[in-house]
Amino acid sequence: MSTVAIISSFADDTQCANAIEQLRAAQVGDFNTFSPIPSHRIERAIGRSKSPVRWIVLAGGILGVLAGLAITIGTTYEWRLNAGGKPLLSWPPFIVICFELMVLLGGIFGFLGVMMLSGVPTTEMEPGYDGRFGEDRFGIVVRCDEAEAARIELVLKESGAEEVVREGA
Amino acid sequence: MSTHLQKAHRERGAMKPRAVESVVGTSTRAVAGAMIVLGATAFMLALSRGGAAIAWQAYLVNLLFFLGVAQGALVASASFYLTQAKWGGSTPYRLGEAFAPFLWVGFFLFFGLYFGRSLIFPWVTHPIAQKAAWLNTPFLFARDGIGLGVMAAASYAFIRVSRGADARAWTIATDDIQLPPHSIRVRAPLVAVLFAVVYTLIAFDLVMSLAPVWRSTLFGWYFFAGCFWSGLTAMALTAVVLRSRLGENNLFTNSTVLHDFGKMVFAFSVFWIYLLFAQYIVIWYGDLPVETFFVVQRVHHLPWSPLSAACLVLIWLIPFTVLMSVRAKKTPVILGTVAGLGLVGMWLERYVLVVPSLSLDAVPFGPTQFLISIGFLGAFLVSAMPGLNRVAQAATSGEPVGDDPE
Repeated sequence: MSTVAIISSFADDTQCANAIEQLRAAQVGDFNTFSPIPSHRIERAIGRSKSPVRWIVLAGGILGVLAGLAITIGTTYEWRLNAGGKPLLSWPPFIVICFELMVLLGGIFGFLGVMMLSGVPTTEMEPGYDGRFGEDRFGIVVRCDEAEAARIELVLKESGAEEVVREGA
Repeated sequence: MSTHLQKAHRERGAMKPRAVESVVGTSTRAVAGAMIVLGATAFMLALSRGGAAIAWQAYLVNLLFFLGVAQGALVASASFYLTQAKWGGSTPYRLGEAFAPFLWVGFFLFFGLYFGRSLIFPWVTHPIAQKAAWLNTPFLFARDGIGLGVMAAASYAFIRVSRGADARAWTIATDDIQLPPHSIRVRAPLVAVLFAVVYTLIAFDLVMSLAPVWRSTLFGWYFFAGCFWSGLTAMALTAVVLRSRLGENNLFTNSTVLHDFGKMVFAFSVFWIYLLFAQYIVIWYGDLPVETFFVVQRVHHLPWSPLSAACLVLIWLIPFTVLMSVRAKKTPVILGTVAGLGLVGMWLERYVLVVPSLSLDAVPFGPTQFLISIGFLGAFLVSAMPGLNRVAQAATSGEPVGDDPE
């Protein structure tokens, strides 16, 4: 049995999401979805668990607060400047710096986390990718045995695929 | 016309106002009426028995709080048009407009302050020469009265259009990216800008002038940001309460809608504390006695410091920590409790802003103040009843809502 690739394109993200749900209901697991825009409907249809990036951002945020405390407390003890009779370690100005560093490092860590976890940069194109999927079409590429292909093509067509093309892989 | 718009127009025809039972039962109306009577009686008794000072303090605090909630909610409705919000169909708009009758009630009650002016405004009995051109009785009552009147009139001009068929059809056209109808595009920004101007004026005149030596430039924004947040929080609380009273499958059973209300309560409480800290850090750093006394009285000295801490906890700490998770925002009991506590906190905040200027060494709160507050709450509830019926109608009409399956 040879493996074929079925490439289908959709003009509407709701239809694409429906197709994904139909495929999952039909126990078809090996497919890729391409989308030109982030779509909540498609994400929910695919049903992946929440991204671990939020933990990376949290780590960055905590690191930022600690860095802020280190800088503020460290420089205060280094220079011991008395600003208008206020206590040496006073939280109102320190909180500003800690907050800003929390935002900065949280953001940087989040960016790096997304880059790492999404496999960017990549040198290989996913098989079945078409330029339209970066413009105005949603695409589903299913890899399956030749025997299953007809059934899967039917599922995709019924879900409203504009175009279904089979390629021997 | 796209199929979605056709569907929306068809459904609109089916949603003609039907004779629906009032969502507010007779017992609630009776209780609210009794509250008004209690409050008015307590007020009159206090005036006649030498408790005039505390009576007028309670009057001012409650006027500021409830007017803020009513106006803030109305401005929230205008903001929803300005941001093209279709996450709840027409119901969030009706919810924001539900408290609007109190704007006129508050307008008339404002002039009542004239009779207590010598007990509220220190500059009436001790005029300040340099500020007399601004802080004098005729000018203050004229400008604030006109401001509140213009605000109420503009709000009602906005509501009239918002309740029209065009605006309603726009709010439920979920697949259409058209801007709102032209009349809304004129009146909603007007309401928003007027709100900023008039409520800055109210904050300066009715709160800041009670400590006439003190000033903070950001105070007007801080005050009306609190009003906006209390409006949103009141809307969230109303949504949770109506959820269980409107039968099955009303809009508020949709957890995405509750999630959206929760997000706004969360976000604007952060905005509020941001504005609070922005004022605090500047005053702290400058350390000028003419500025610091206001803050020190309320935050660092007994008897007011525990109340300030309570405000902070109720308005920011609890909403921020509790409403951070998605699940908490979608749970009605949690959202409702946080919203209720937040409103108590905001009332307390108005109290802590106003009363220490008038009574520094003791926290005056007894049966008189409690009953007057109850009276204002009753008046607020009574004026909200017609609007709540419209909310119930919108929430049970099965409108399509903007789809955001998170």
